[in-house]
Amino acid sequence: MDPDEVEFLGEKSMIEIVPTFNSAPIYFIGGDVGPFRASIPLRVPLWVAVHLKQQQQCKIIPPDWMDLEKLENLKEEEKSNRSFIKMPSEHYIVEAKLILGCAADDIPRTDEIRTIIKDIWDIRKSKLRSSMDQMIKKSAMYAAVDNLTLMEINSIRPLLPHALEQIYRIKSNKRAILNRTQGSVTTPSNATGSFTN
Amino acid sequence: MDEIDIESALNEIENESDDEDEVQISLPEIIQLMEETWLNEKFSPEILPNKMEIVELLLDQITTLETNLKKLNNSDFKKGLYQMEVDRLRFLISSYLRKRLEKIEIFCTAILEQEKLRSQQGKDNYLSQNELQFAQEYDQSIKDNFESVMRFCPGIIETQIISPNIHSMVFLKSKENIDGIVIDDGNDDNDLIDLTTGAQVLIGYKSISNLVKNGDVHLI
Amino acid sequence: MFAEKACSLIKELSRCEEGLPPYNIELVKEVCTEIKQLHEQNKEDGAIVANESEIAGNVNPLYPTLRIGSAAVKRNIRCLLAYHYNRLRTLRTMRWQFGSILPPDIKTNLSSDEIDWFSKYSSCLGKYMRSIGEDGLNLCLDLRPPKSLYIEVKCLIDYGKFELSDGTVLLLKKDSRHYLPRSECEELITQGVFHHIV
Repeated sequence: MDPDEVEFLGEKSMIEIVPTFNSAPIYFIGGDVGPFRASIPLRVPLWVAVHLKQQQQCKIIPPDWMDLEKLENLKEEEKSNRSFIKMPSEHYIVEAKLILGCAADDIPRTDEIRTIIKDIWDIRKSKLRSSMDQMIKKSAMYAAVDNLTLMEINSIRPLLPHALEQIYRIKSNKRAILNRTQGSVTTPSNATGSFTN
Repeated sequence: MDEIDIESALNEIENESDDEDEVQISLPEIIQLMEETWLNEKFSPEILPNKMEIVELLLDQITTLETNLKKLNNSDFKKGLYQMEVDRLRFLISSYLRKRLEKIEIFCTAILEQEKLRSQQGKDNYLSQNELQFAQEYDQSIKDNFESVMRFCPGIIETQIISPNIHSMVFLKSKENIDGIVIDDGNDDNDLIDLTTGAQVLIGYKSISNLVKNGDVHLI
Repeated sequence: MFAEKACSLIKELSRCEEGLPPYNIELVKEVCTEIKQLHEQNKEDGAIVANESEIAGNVNPLYPTLRIGSAAVKRNIRCLLAYHYNRLRTLRTMRWQFGSILPPDIKTNLSSDEIDWFSKYSSCLGKYMRSIGEDGLNLCLDLRPPKSLYIEVKCLIDYGKFELSDGTVLLLKKDSRHYLPRSECEELITQGVFHHIV
């Protein structure tokens, strides 16, 4: 999937803004947003927030997790854990990119926040690489990927699924040949891998 | 603009047993469903049963909204936002329909054979009426072209039918608690796994194709 | 060697990554001749094998020849079909890119069967798109998720006059830059008239 498409899905996340104007609600097909009262915070979809921010019609309140101290803790936890920890948001990468991209003036210490989110992403990517390596070595045909976010899952596609499809092809051809020549023969194997433990 | 109250929509779902065919779902839920339908079609190797009723419902909404938009003053900041939502929905629908056309073209002959079988067994077709017509015309045009090529050596017929690889590996998210999914690992010892609601796994498509079709899981 | 010509057909096509090389009617005919000859030979050999095996009961020395001959026919046909099929797939992509009218430089490289196929595909796709919803849906648009209402584009050629849906007429010159509604310029971006400045 194109990263733009992952972003498209992430743009539906609700975030808090403080509008600088008054207005009646907007009746979107996807649900009502508003009413807007100047200086009164409300929750809107991320794509609405970005659009309003670009028109300088609101201030964006960063999500709770987008805080230097919390992110520092998250990074430590991710580093000390062998498995993937649960991210505070299913779309943390998309939210960070879009919010920091358009609302740097609303968020203190954006550069440091950007760096630390990049660090967390890098730690997780390196765990992903070694998990993939293990899966392929074990020829696993199943894996739990519970705490991975959509952007992370998308980053190992198509490589991992394709590699496993080729392994499956080889294994099932071997099975077909064995069955033909010797009747039914089974080879012991542990076919389950996991990204979470 | 047609607005369906979420609360009354939920009540409708609770009363499902009284009125099974006429379940009202709220528009935000329909959009959510459209997104899942889009992802399912994007990642499943084979063509899935069509969801034209959702597509048409959303297209009607878009048309209504666009008509109303013309009445809005150009200087109204809301106009741009409404237009953006329309663009987002139109992308979602177009991308879904494009993905289906791509599959229909690549696996044309195989899909048409399966559809014929489904009709004979009295099952619902996967393609919409219009898609079916497109598929038949496309299939015929390719066959005509090949026949014309092979006119230099008459009497020799050889065709290749391209079928999807249903053993593709896919990522999914479970929407229910599901027990006893069989993992085909390519050997003969097949493990069983259970999924809890919200679980995400990487798995062979063949093991879960029926769960995608009945909506217990969706692909991600 | 068998199927050598067929193989060079495929190579010719794969060397040309974008666009389409001229339809190679000469080589296609030569491949067809090879197929015909092999097919005749196989028929003769097959008749002999069938006859003699009834008498002798053991493996006929002609059998390997027959197998190779039939494999060569299959390979030739496969290459031939791949050559034509992949050309059609490229044409298909062009229909999505350029619409129902092909640029003349591409049209000159096509066989008459291909021109024929293109117009059939074009009309069956058009018919399908018109059938969606109440007033049809142009699936060649909205190719990427929408980002913003307006985008900046650079014009790559001297295009001439271009009318927006609100009636404004723009003069599109090479290297001129414009800030336009995304929906208005998407078609010209796919056609390569505009370059989207990100």
